[in-house]
Amino acid sequence: MIEFSGVVKRFGDLTAVHRLDLKVEKGEIFGFLGPNGAGKTTTVKLLTGLLRPTEGTVKLAGLDVVRDTTAAKKKMGLVPDEPFVYPKLTGVEFLRFVGDLYEVPLEAQKKRIPELLEMFELRPWGGELAETYSHGMRQKLVLAANLLHEPEVLVLDEPLVGLDPKSARLVKEIFQTLSTRGCTLFMCTHVLEIAERLCSRVGIMISGKLTALGTVSELKGGKDASRLEDVFLELTGGSEYAALLKHL
Amino acid sequence: MLKVLLDRKAASLYNSVRSLTAWELGRNAAFFIVGFWMLFGLHVGFFRVLAHIHKVELIGPLLVWKLTGMTLLTTFSMVVLSSLIIALTTLFYSFDLPFLMNAPVPSRVVFIEKSIETTFFSSWMILLVLAPYVLALGRVRDLTPGFYLAFASMMPPFVVLAAAFGMAFTLGLMFLFPSSRTRDAIWLMSSCSMGVVYVLLRLSEPEKLARPDMLAVVAEYLNYLQTPTAPWMPSGWMTRALEAVAKGDFGASFWKPFSVLWGSAAAVYAALVLLADRTYAAGYSGAQESGRRHRSQDVSYYKEQEWLAGWPKAAALAVLLWKERKAFFRDVKHWSQIVLILALASVYLFSIQRLPLETPDLKNLVAFLNLGIAGFVISSLGLRFTFPSISTEGRAFWVVKAAPVGVDTLMRAKFLFTLVPMTLLSTALVLMSNHLLLADRFIATLSFVTILAMTFTLCGMGVGFGSIFPKFNIPNIHQLESSAGGFVYMAAALFYIGLTIAFEAWPVQMHFRERFGHPGPWDYLGLALCGACLVVLNVVAFALPWWLGRRHLETYEEK
Repeated sequence: MIEFSGVVKRFGDLTAVHRLDLKVEKGEIFGFLGPNGAGKTTTVKLLTGLLRPTEGTVKLAGLDVVRDTTAAKKKMGLVPDEPFVYPKLTGVEFLRFVGDLYEVPLEAQKKRIPELLEMFELRPWGGELAETYSHGMRQKLVLAANLLHEPEVLVLDEPLVGLDPKSARLVKEIFQTLSTRGCTLFMCTHVLEIAERLCSRVGIMISGKLTALGTVSELKGGKDASRLEDVFLELTGGSEYAALLKHL
Repeated sequence: MLKVLLDRKAASLYNSVRSLTAWELGRNAAFFIVGFWMLFGLHVGFFRVLAHIHKVELIGPLLVWKLTGMTLLTTFSMVVLSSLIIALTTLFYSFDLPFLMNAPVPSRVVFIEKSIETTFFSSWMILLVLAPYVLALGRVRDLTPGFYLAFASMMPPFVVLAAAFGMAFTLGLMFLFPSSRTRDAIWLMSSCSMGVVYVLLRLSEPEKLARPDMLAVVAEYLNYLQTPTAPWMPSGWMTRALEAVAKGDFGASFWKPFSVLWGSAAAVYAALVLLADRTYAAGYSGAQESGRRHRSQDVSYYKEQEWLAGWPKAAALAVLLWKERKAFFRDVKHWSQIVLILALASVYLFSIQRLPLETPDLKNLVAFLNLGIAGFVISSLGLRFTFPSISTEGRAFWVVKAAPVGVDTLMRAKFLFTLVPMTLLSTALVLMSNHLLLADRFIATLSFVTILAMTFTLCGMGVGFGSIFPKFNIPNIHQLESSAGGFVYMAAALFYIGLTIAFEAWPVQMHFRERFGHPGPWDYLGLALCGACLVVLNVVAFALPWWLGRRHLETYEEK
């Protein structure tokens, strides 16, 4: 469903993504991990067509996201790391706007918009301008907008940041339901517990390179007791801070 | 603490200069060269006007200082207006304010730093245009470097006094009206008042005073010339001090207005800081509260969908137009600008009506040249509305960029949204002017067709250049107007208007030859050539920035 082939992305002298080769199958929840500045958000932007690769190709549902941009975007939804929305549109209007951009029929919008607002507990604020929303409310609005057109691939960059525990639980359940229905989820996250619980496979990117790839148990190396966090810290060198922390 | 805040600005500036690539350096150098030549052109124009006035027997020098006083008064008023627009965003909605207000920095220090920023952004471009005038004045009067030094030393208090008005008004407004809806209403009412004052000032026909034939007695005219323009205003003090320096008098005639200027600026700024001590933190707190007004949650057809229902491929265009309409009319700052535009349009037409034109030929000539002024008005409004329209997507640009909609559709929506009101305004200005000037059928038809084409092309140029130079993360949208991109758009627009007038000058000349009864006035080959040049000019002026802008948006990468 998602295929990166030899993808390189350079910004001037900086190579943000080094020759990425990765396939994600239909219905998979793929967790994309890595320390800050590793190139995860750049990879997400390459996948969604917001950035163009310097080398290589990115395919989504068999479509090249650079050459068949519009067709590929129709099959995809994006929840970016920061949920910026139009401040002067109400929640309902924003959903209506996104629905029309993705050509969702009006009758379907009439049915689904109230349902989505209800599900994300945004119904009382549906008629308020988005500029009055909190970060978490905007995050939920963007998630709702992405469910409106029922995408085949959902790309999520830190989808649970800013959500209260109840909403986070709901979102996790939505992701699992979508996965069982055949939707592919490509999720960047720093919350390793979520990756451990939700993701069928996990990739760890460090300095633009995909350093580890496999199921959570494969990455743990068969050691049941160890946690994904230990594997992550071992790969990214986080354990070196232990000595420094003693002096704090 | 203030030094820490200013150091970070200096470090940001240093880092942005240091990180310029060779291409960016070359581009900036090109802008600099073009800008320099434009200012040089202004200087030449000012010099010719001042030299001409200076040569007038007996009253020449008086006229020069009268004009200087008026120029400084205009500069002062423009900085006041500019600070009114900029202060609200800079003082209360800057992107770094949440961080600064949370840091252990006294609100007085934050205010001082933001007031410096407001003063700079409200004045730098206006002062840049004033510089060629001052240089021309120095050349005409053969003045020494001491004059320029005196001018430069009086500029800081001059702009601080002007910007203080805008900042004091904004501080008071935000403190007294913490509710956003009341604040919006007051903001709108202030704009209406400004518009009314502007119209009333114009209706009082101040130009009568500048025309000796309108005054009964010569002595009265001389008396008018000798009286400083607005003597109680900072521009009046500055004019008096400059006049004294020009005469080589560094005595009381210079020191008195110089000290009054610096003293007033210090006193007003100190009062402003004291006012900020009492109101800034409370005003900032109020600015965080958004006005809540519950709107309909109805999911139904909207007007744009009904209008474009016949074109299934225009569904995305319809929703983008709908979004533009909603966002535009919900922003009260836009309403106040509409009020000021209406005031400007009425003053424009009043000025046309009052032009002292005696003959029908002269009236027709002015009706033709009026195209240039109308074009300038449209391009200036374009700089405010059309050019920033792509950048107003802001950080929500990802919504459209990630959606299955080409950037071309977004550009078309921005274009159509500004084209309709701009066309209404420009055609109204030209049709009314032609009516007031009793333009003949040829000039009336030519100017009507031309303004339609001109508005279409200028709107296209605005969206095109706005797409070439988008700034989605800009904290204050007004900064776009004085950005390099805004400068290029304005220069290109003025060049286009100039070429249009130049190409049409030939057929208009033929028309006047006919009016004057010359035999065989029409050269049809020349006419066809002019028509072809105009078509090519409009196609290139529209399509080139549009194409470059579309390419740039398609490959736009937020780094």
